[in-house]
Amino acid sequence: MNQTPADVPLLSVETEAANASVEDIIANRLDSSGLPDSASELVLAALLGENELAAAVDGTAEAVPAPTSPEAKPGLAAPELYLQAIVVEGFRGLSTEAALRLQPGPGLTVVAGRNGSGKSSFAEAAELAMTGDNKRWSGDRSAVWREGWRNLHTHGQTRIRAELTADGQPGVIKVVREWPDGARLDDATSYVQAHGQPRQPLTKADWWPQLELFRPFLSYTELGALLNGRPSEMYDAIQAILGLDQLVDAQKRLDIQRKELDTASKVASQNLSGLRTRLAESSDERARRAEGALAGRSWDVEAVESLAVGADDSPESAGGLLSQVTAIELPSPDEIAAAIEGIRQAAQRVAKLADTPAEDARRLAGLLAAALDHQASHPGEACPVCGGRALDTAWAEATRTEITRLQGQAQDAEGTRTELNSAVSTVRGLTGPVPRVLSDDLGSEVDPANARKAWQSWAELAASGTVDQLIAAGANRFAALAESVAELQSGAAVVLARRSEAWQPVAAALASWAQQARSSQRAAEKLKAVKQAIAWLRQAGQEIRDARMAPFTEMSAEVWSMLRQGSNVDLGPIRLVGAATHRKLSLDVTVDGVGGDTALSVMSQGELHALGLALFLPRATAPESPFRFIVIDDPVQAMDPAKVDGLARLLAKVANDRQVIVFTHDDRLPEAIRRLQLPAEIWEVVRREQSVVEITKNEDPVSRYLEDARAVALTKELSEDAKSVVVAGFCRSALEAACQECVRARRIKAGFRHADVEEALRNATTLRMLMALALLNDADRAQDVDTELRKRFGQPAVNALAAVNAGTHGVYQARLTALVNETNRLAAGLRS
Amino acid sequence: MNPQELLDEADRLLTTVVPRTRGRWPRACAWLIRLALEKSLDDYWTARLPEAQKCSMRAQLLLLPRYAGTEVAGDARDAWFGLARATHHHAYELAPTAAELRTWHDLVSTISTDLAESVLNARH
Repeated sequence: MNQTPADVPLLSVETEAANASVEDIIANRLDSSGLPDSASELVLAALLGENELAAAVDGTAEAVPAPTSPEAKPGLAAPELYLQAIVVEGFRGLSTEAALRLQPGPGLTVVAGRNGSGKSSFAEAAELAMTGDNKRWSGDRSAVWREGWRNLHTHGQTRIRAELTADGQPGVIKVVREWPDGARLDDATSYVQAHGQPRQPLTKADWWPQLELFRPFLSYTELGALLNGRPSEMYDAIQAILGLDQLVDAQKRLDIQRKELDTASKVASQNLSGLRTRLAESSDERARRAEGALAGRSWDVEAVESLAVGADDSPESAGGLLSQVTAIELPSPDEIAAAIEGIRQAAQRVAKLADTPAEDARRLAGLLAAALDHQASHPGEACPVCGGRALDTAWAEATRTEITRLQGQAQDAEGTRTELNSAVSTVRGLTGPVPRVLSDDLGSEVDPANARKAWQSWAELAASGTVDQLIAAGANRFAALAESVAELQSGAAVVLARRSEAWQPVAAALASWAQQARSSQRAAEKLKAVKQAIAWLRQAGQEIRDARMAPFTEMSAEVWSMLRQGSNVDLGPIRLVGAATHRKLSLDVTVDGVGGDTALSVMSQGELHALGLALFLPRATAPESPFRFIVIDDPVQAMDPAKVDGLARLLAKVANDRQVIVFTHDDRLPEAIRRLQLPAEIWEVVRREQSVVEITKNEDPVSRYLEDARAVALTKELSEDAKSVVVAGFCRSALEAACQECVRARRIKAGFRHADVEEALRNATTLRMLMALALLNDADRAQDVDTELRKRFGQPAVNALAAVNAGTHGVYQARLTALVNETNRLAAGLRS
Repeated sequence: MNPQELLDEADRLLTTVVPRTRGRWPRACAWLIRLALEKSLDDYWTARLPEAQKCSMRAQLLLLPRYAGTEVAGDARDAWFGLARATHHHAYELAPTAAELRTWHDLVSTISTDLAESVLNARH
């Protein structure tokens, strides 16, 4: 039997993978994933946070930021912490201040105390002081606990304090929680104070963020709850230790986005039937066109949008024709009057020059100019045309004047004619031909016939009327036209206004639906990317999880193998499976080779607790944890003796590099530790009336009883009679303990079952029978005990046995210290 | 020492801190209460049935109901087995609690008084 703590470190969980941040791992994997950019950006953003993801989904995010460097990982800087003391006053079972002092460093400390002695108060105080987790305390604990957390004998304040030492730092760190008199459990004030530093709130402590992850406290109720807890809670707890909570958060964030986008992508189709009803109620032909745009599987959102703003009111529609009518523009009556006046004046001027034919005047002027030319080269000669008068200088002078007059006359005549023509064409140009819309069907309420006729009549006059006709009839005919057009337009305007009023709300409905359709379409596109991101991350996450889980599983298996001690339950790999609401911690437990969901239910309470420890220890002793201590409250309760041996070895092994503090309600664990000779410090908590608690070192029971006997023998406060009975009693107990130890060691070493050994010891009801069992290996040979004793240890041993047997009945009166010494000699002989 | 003196000593251990008994008083206290019980019975048998003094405690407890009545005998049996358990070394068991000791103390006080009165009544 290997009785020394194994040299192989149990807690060498490999965590290289755990050192790389989740972001880095994911970023590396994404590079070679072949996932579209739209999806891989979402994955990275989801890892960064809620806002980052929202920005990425909205497309408002800037370039995906580079993953943060690994040193940004929180908590790595927290120094290694050990517990140095737990000090309690007025809390639970402890009234006056009591302190449990511990060696701050790796090692095993067992604190034994009967139920109600106050030992659990220390465990609870340490946990409550450090975690401050009132919810857990007030929620999970019974009403009795909630009412009774304050010590009944205490009046005044309640105060609990954990004293920690940080490796490499001088002084202690005090973690204090205190309640004024009468305060409720939730009304505590708490602080943490490092040596020479000011007080700080707990949440400012550098180890605070790690507490949730590695929670180094395990209470008895939790031991069961580790396995009875909801599968998703166990999953979350383990996941958090693996440093994968970021992964879970990212998955949660993506899932929220998926749900939101899914809802958003359906808004347009959900509102479509309402819109259709609305359109069907509208008589406007734009409603028909909108219905057409929404008929198919894919909507023509653009068409709906232009219908909504009314920009696309086509000229052929009723509305379009009416708009054309209202758009008709006529010159003003003043313009027409001015143009006709222009004709009249031009005609007058033409009439005034009617007798001067412009051609004749020009021709005559040309003739005279030629004669003048001739006269210049032949001055004074007779006129070559008529041969009469001599063409002298006076003639030339008169002729020049005549030429100028004639030319002016011709110009005036031509000018007035041109003016008249242009005045007429001005009038003609003021209006166009009859607009086509005046020939269209404008509906029952608007008849364009009058306007059309008036326009035709005016157009005929303008086109082919004489100047006199234009002057005579123009103004009147135009006035008739203007009047009929104005009448037509006001009719059309009334109809248009009514149509537009009826359309307005439909247009608004179209506009808002079109907006929804756009965002639904965008959401559908994003949804596709988010779904890709989710699917990829689920796969990648499972792979990372499995990889990180491996060392955890190994350690659990090792813990289980130490604790199982002949159990027929096998523990296979522990896996985190599923996601979202289906996530759970999967334990591959088989009983006699048969697995399945029922395996857990057939396990004994002790086996379940062992399994609970197998889950707790890898988490609480993770290398990343700053807490180098673990506090376990009563792991022994439901365990059989063989498992207690396993537990003792396991705890001693863990204590190689961790401070392990175990509270236990009986002496089984200390006994196993002493028998297996494991290094440990054992304390016993004893509570006096009025909740006064004393803590004494618990050595092995033989030395302890002898020590007690010696102390009482020397005390002066007790009467001789009282002393003698007490001393003899302690000596007797020492011999009983020595015999039991001797028997137990011999038989267990020889391969006896624990239970059988205990049975044999129970059956040895008297000290002599025990002596027979120890000395002669047979409880029935009590009558041979004296002979054997005399043979091995001499007559004084026989006398001592007689003395302690009789002494309890008040007979022994010899010197008490001599009795103690003789008992000591005999006990040492028995144990050697 | 008479039973009452032993019980007074036990009470002192139970309620006050006696030097050198720190942490070890519970078992010492148990021994004293146990002895008080034995003394009470001893005194009783001296008056009623001297030969019973030589018998084992088990035999004395079997005799008691016929002499002192079932009630006090029942109390004596309960107290005796509790105290015997507390004063012998039992594997894995820690020292008795203050509450247990107080119960036994009260029980033995009553037994002691009842037995003494029963002797007095018999004489009158």
